[in-house]
Amino acid sequence: MTNRDTRDILGGLFLTALGLFAAWYAQQNFDIGNLTRMGPGFFPVGLGLILAVLGVFIALPAFFRGGEGTNVQWRTLALVTASLCVFAFTLKPLGLVFSTFAAAFISSLADREITWRNRLLVSAGVSLMTYLVFSLGLSMVLPVWPWSP
Amino acid sequence: MDISDGLLIGLQSAMQPTTLLYCFFGVFLGTLIGVLPGIGALATISLLLPITYHIPPTAAIVMLAGVYYGAQYGGSTASILLNLPGTPSSAVACLDGYPMAKKGRAGVALFMTTIASFVGSMLGIAMLVAFAPGIAELGLKFGPAEYFSMMLLGLVAASTMASGSPLKGLAMVILGLLLGTVGTDVNSGQARFDFGVPELMDGINLVALAMGVFGISEVISGINQKREGQVKEKINMRTMTPTKDDVKRSIFPMLRGTGIGSFFGALPGTGASIASFMSYAVEKKVSKTPERFGHGAIEGVTAPEAANNAASQTAFVPTLSLGIPGDAVMALMLGALIIHGIQPGPLLMTQQPELFWGLIVSFGIGNIMLMILNLPLIGIWVAILRIPYNVLYPAILVFISLGVYSVNNNTFDVFMVAGIGVLGYAMAVFKFEAAPLLLGFVLGPLMEENLRRSLLLSRGDMMTFIERPISAGFLAFCAALLIWSAIATLRETLRARERKADFA
Repeated sequence: MTNRDTRDILGGLFLTALGLFAAWYAQQNFDIGNLTRMGPGFFPVGLGLILAVLGVFIALPAFFRGGEGTNVQWRTLALVTASLCVFAFTLKPLGLVFSTFAAAFISSLADREITWRNRLLVSAGVSLMTYLVFSLGLSMVLPVWPWSP
Repeated sequence: MDISDGLLIGLQSAMQPTTLLYCFFGVFLGTLIGVLPGIGALATISLLLPITYHIPPTAAIVMLAGVYYGAQYGGSTASILLNLPGTPSSAVACLDGYPMAKKGRAGVALFMTTIASFVGSMLGIAMLVAFAPGIAELGLKFGPAEYFSMMLLGLVAASTMASGSPLKGLAMVILGLLLGTVGTDVNSGQARFDFGVPELMDGINLVALAMGVFGISEVISGINQKREGQVKEKINMRTMTPTKDDVKRSIFPMLRGTGIGSFFGALPGTGASIASFMSYAVEKKVSKTPERFGHGAIEGVTAPEAANNAASQTAFVPTLSLGIPGDAVMALMLGALIIHGIQPGPLLMTQQPELFWGLIVSFGIGNIMLMILNLPLIGIWVAILRIPYNVLYPAILVFISLGVYSVNNNTFDVFMVAGIGVLGYAMAVFKFEAAPLLLGFVLGPLMEENLRRSLLLSRGDMMTFIERPISAGFLAFCAALLIWSAIATLRETLRARERKADFA
């Protein structure tokens, strides 16, 4: 338990900032128009302002009540994100097989209880399965090996 | 065209081998992911969206729908055996299902939930057939003002009726609407919020958004989550046979559950989870022996199961007849239709009768398949519960990446999933719900379009929304919901403060 509900304070203030930014950006760059003929800016500006107000309403009461602390799994988050990015970076240069192996291996690091041997086995299995399902089964056009065109 | 003609067309369309095959694939996969805790129907349907580009639209929708209602069957298996809900709507099945398993009656519980699911679904489909065409006809009379007000009602209902704070739900709807404005504006051709990135000109990819906010954050929360319990029970035909008493006790609860489920399923914004909780509460209230609940009462399992299955069928009523999705899964379903160039709405029934009726008939066929999958083959699903998550999730992540990539053959979308995944996880940590966001995202462009059109027609007069009676009705309902949830929140806060004062 914490003294203030930090979750809602941070979340609400973030939404307010985002809403204000969206409204400001839309107002600067797009034509607002009028009620009869709305421009492309009308809807985003309105939404941004509503979002900003809602953010304040979420954050304000949270200052006056207790809340639970947050438990963020930073390591898992980082590894999962890294796995996706590695896939995106390596798919075209390295091809499907190596790219999926690398992505699966990096994501498997997030679980602490699995052995290194099983990590390699799981990654190889995933790589084989994606090749069979997506490349052979669904005949999707994908570079399979580094030397594939 | 009357209903019997429609059903005949539907039968022809649903009995085609390709459609049957995809129907089977859908319900099979649905049961599978329903059984597995840690991956839900939403994540799976978003994973399958890219595949639907390559198959005929009817088969695609039939498959996606199969995953959705199939998951309702599978969901209760993990609840009963492991006290761990496979899907959110089967959380109620833990309350009495797990105690039944502890008494060695897991087989009976599994058998009866399947029967209840089947009864609920079939009656739900009957409701869908009875009401959808009429509502679609009514929908033909709607102008842009009615559409705007109805979508507004759907969004307000989805955010206020969902679990958690209604304010946060509303904020998520608005954020979703805002994300929906990214990309080229159809009326003026102006690119909005593209920040000079050419890939953003076409807007945020629905698949990337859905996988990011549901798939990725589900996986992150699932890893290193403590999983206790092992399946010990022997499940076979003999241990599954219910007693006469079990059956007798279940008949009326199943029917009541179906009624409650059908109602909440058809309302936009409420769905299977709320229906199953309501139905459990009702059974406990009407029961002559409420003390049995929580200790393995059979009607505490069968009524909510009938309710959530009925709800997942009637959820198609607003989606198919008006083109208004009631929940995030339905929003994805609409997304799939739009991907295939089919405009959902009241005209769907007359313009695409094969799709409309074929889908409805496929629900019936799919539910019969599910009966077969869940009764004689229950052993397979019990075995699958023994697969460790650390083998599953790397595969899920790779499938997500590949699925997103395949939509446009574009690695930019994979980076986008990574980014949205971080946002989705942050939302989970801060307890902001993702479903209203997705609903807003899908409805956003439609709402803006209808808002613009109705104000163009009324020459900028906002009163048009109130002067038109149907639109005014929707808005009044909206206002009532908002006021009701404001009062409920206020009361909750005051009560919490009193409790705190008592402690001090």
